[in-house]
Amino acid sequence: MDAIASARDLVKSYGTGRAARRVLDGVSIDVGRGELVAVLGRSGSGKSTLLHLLGGLDRPDAGTIQVAGVRLEREGEAGLTALRRRHVGFVFQAFHLMPELTGIENVLLPARLAGDGTAAAARVHELIGLLELREAADRLPDALSGGEQQRIALARALVNDPSLVLADEPTGNLDAESAALVLRLLREVAGGERAVVLVTHDREAARHADRVLELREGKLAA
Amino acid sequence: MLGAAVTVSLSLATGFDRAANRAGLADVIARFDPVPLGEVEARTRALANLRAVSYRLELKGVNILAGAQFNGHAKLHGVPSGPRGYALVAGREPLAGADEVVIERGLAESWGLEIGETLEVDGWRILGAALRIVGVAVTPDSVAFPLTNGPRLYSSYDVVRRLAGVEPGTVNLALLWVHDRAQLDLTLAQARAASFGVRELEFVTRDGVRALINQAAGIVIALLVAFSLVALAAAGVMLAASSAAEVQRRLPAIGLLRTLGASPAAVAAGYAAEAALVAAPAALLGLGLGALVVARPTGRLLSALNELGPGPALLLPLAGCLLGTVGLVALAAGLPAWRAASRRPVETLAGGDVASAPRRLRLGAGPAGLGMRLALARPLRTAATIAVLAASASVVLLMLALATLLGRLESDPSTLGKRYSLTVAAPAREAAAIRRVAGVDDAAPRYELPAADSFALGEGFTVVAFNGDHTDYEAPPLASGRRIRGAGEAEVGLGLAQALNLRPGTMLAAQLPSGGETRFRVVGVVRALEAEGRIAYVQPSRLLEAEPGLQPSLAVLLDPGASRDAVAARLSTAGYFAERVGGVTAENSGFLDVLAALLLSLAGVVGLVCVYALVQMLALTAHERRRALAVIRALGASRVQVAAVLAGSGLLVAAIAAAAGIVLERFVVAPAAASLAASYVTLPLAAGPLHMLVVSLGLTVAALVAAAWAGRGAIRRPIVAGLREN
Repeated sequence: MDAIASARDLVKSYGTGRAARRVLDGVSIDVGRGELVAVLGRSGSGKSTLLHLLGGLDRPDAGTIQVAGVRLEREGEAGLTALRRRHVGFVFQAFHLMPELTGIENVLLPARLAGDGTAAAARVHELIGLLELREAADRLPDALSGGEQQRIALARALVNDPSLVLADEPTGNLDAESAALVLRLLREVAGGERAVVLVTHDREAARHADRVLELREGKLAA
Repeated sequence: MLGAAVTVSLSLATGFDRAANRAGLADVIARFDPVPLGEVEARTRALANLRAVSYRLELKGVNILAGAQFNGHAKLHGVPSGPRGYALVAGREPLAGADEVVIERGLAESWGLEIGETLEVDGWRILGAALRIVGVAVTPDSVAFPLTNGPRLYSSYDVVRRLAGVEPGTVNLALLWVHDRAQLDLTLAQARAASFGVRELEFVTRDGVRALINQAAGIVIALLVAFSLVALAAAGVMLAASSAAEVQRRLPAIGLLRTLGASPAAVAAGYAAEAALVAAPAALLGLGLGALVVARPTGRLLSALNELGPGPALLLPLAGCLLGTVGLVALAAGLPAWRAASRRPVETLAGGDVASAPRRLRLGAGPAGLGMRLALARPLRTAATIAVLAASASVVLLMLALATLLGRLESDPSTLGKRYSLTVAAPAREAAAIRRVAGVDDAAPRYELPAADSFALGEGFTVVAFNGDHTDYEAPPLASGRRIRGAGEAEVGLGLAQALNLRPGTMLAAQLPSGGETRFRVVGVVRALEAEGRIAYVQPSRLLEAEPGLQPSLAVLLDPGASRDAVAARLSTAGYFAERVGGVTAENSGFLDVLAALLLSLAGVVGLVCVYALVQMLALTAHERRRALAVIRALGASRVQVAAVLAGSGLLVAAIAAAAGIVLERFVVAPAAASLAASYVTLPLAAGPLHMLVVSLGLTVAALVAAAWAGRGAIRRPIVAGLREN
């Protein structure tokens, strides 16, 4: 398999002393190009931690990670920033939109951070149309429904055309109809050179994935 | 900052009275031509209000030499036993008849003289002698050497009389202490009436000395008060904002306490006590450091003014500041806690979003634009920060404008309305020859002499006379009335008009040094800065009638574009000694330098207040919006871009504050300071374009420094921690 992301023997612990807890205990994963991988697990099982490690938001206590040919443990903060900017898109459960920016401005934000705001304008409009966000584009987030906010967040994750999209419980705050739409869109996003890793506790949501892995007791199992 | 401001203001505000009380400064100092003691004693004994008197022999223009250091303007006082009028700060009094001397502190410090060393004295009609230094004194009736050109020395009367070679009992100076200072004018009038036969009689009153010395210090004190208020406002706003943010962060904990039965007052008291515990050592340290930092420059300034520092008396006000600061912090912490605890516990337990609902704004959507929107999401805090920065900027602008004005006063005669650049000590008949020198446009005799009001002898002023129209040479702006046209008319400075209640149509009766009186009808009031506005412009004929020996100097107008130095050199070649005209007398120039340096230092400290206010605001923004900053980092924002977000917030605030500060300074602060500093003249205290540029750039740099500082803290925080924040 041509993996866009692969991790080996990841270990990550939180807390100290008697409160210490190893949430990832030797996790290994490969995500192939065009693949939608779902990681199932109960709340607190370490799903988000795995996603943060794959996206270079956090560092493991042990193990190696490679994303788009970049060995994350060898990179400094600037290297990880560049990786996130070029190769990774995030979708969060709580959307994490900037409340001061309109929908379209939120979508454009990663492109602007990459110094690519003007060139990305055409792509943004394409995404707005594709995700049915024309009405939401000029509104502030507090005037949007949960489904609209999550689609804005998805458009934002895609604006720099990343090779890896990491979605952390993307349907956790949505009603069933909106959740179905978001999952369908994620399914469409995964393809060609791009892979999607979806972490969720919802088995129904995981059914859209090409592959489902379950995180239990710090171990990942198919 | 508060510690620094309190130390300087209190020291300057009370320095004169402290030194005057310790020295037992006389209520009146009378100078006159040397006379036998008996003659003057008979007159003073008749004064009804007199409590004590001390007679002295004062020698002026004494040469003093210590090592390689020389001064030819020293004043040596022969002091008999009795009240001294100066405060001994080291050593002892000279023994009667011994070749010993007490020197003023300014001389000891500037020449590095110590007790036990020897000072050589001599001069015209003065015998040479070597006097051993036995003490150091402060005399608050004038500023200190080297601000005055001649230092003061005190020896026993017998020694000074011997050096001067005059008859025993000869005196030329009397220090008078009165029972009732409110009756001083009457005493002076009585003294003047009884002074027949005593020539060149001049009075200087204690109140006059205080007014003169405090005039300049008053500006500094007013600025310091403004500075303290700005600092307190900055601290208050930032404390309130950070307390509110902290309470917001701990809402669930407050809700829990309320659920467990704590009353809102108990919750608020807990927060206030916690804040006070943190604030007390911090405030103690800050006040102590502030006081220590300015202690040395303030001491130098007090020395220059011949005043004494407050010493332990400073501790009480500083303790008051400590209590006030801790109280302010406790209040700032307790109030938002009380408000939060007063809500229903169920609401408080749920916590709350710290960011208010934003409005749509036409600003950029890049990092800097986002930062501006973050600032505007907190409109009250942003407005308060802008208010603090604008007030600080206006104070800094005022200080810069004042420092520039002081510099111009020192070197630019036009600030005093003088149009001539040189004076030549030569008789009036030489004017024609001087006009022929290349670069000279015109030359005219200028007469100047001291006078006192005939009805209020303590009110001294300067009379200046030109033939014809004096505005060709000196043209202070006319405040009311008209210019003089004849020999019996006078234009008076606003300072003199205020002191003597003069206005066009009233009469000015001038007592001249010879004892004669001349009267002028006041036809105009001018805004003259020279001599604190205690000046009268007249034509010379009446003065010459009363003072036939009055000698003028020649005021020299230059051709447009002519070099003052070149013309002075040509005049020198032609045999004339030309003196450059400054803005103020050379005696004051050093003092103005000290003041200007102090103002610039304070401007720098107020600049630090701006940086502090911006750092606080941006640190709070970064704390409150840590999740937003974590998100943009997750989206690929670099360290610089995170700092750019905060810089956007800071620059928006700085830009509005700079504009507001400029407007505030021009229309409120400068006019207020000008009227406070000198009601007798319109001081040009509006900041110039260069000052505005400096302050705007300073605020920009402050915003960038604050953004870098706050951004550094934000970047150190793990991204995932920010993402998990609710």
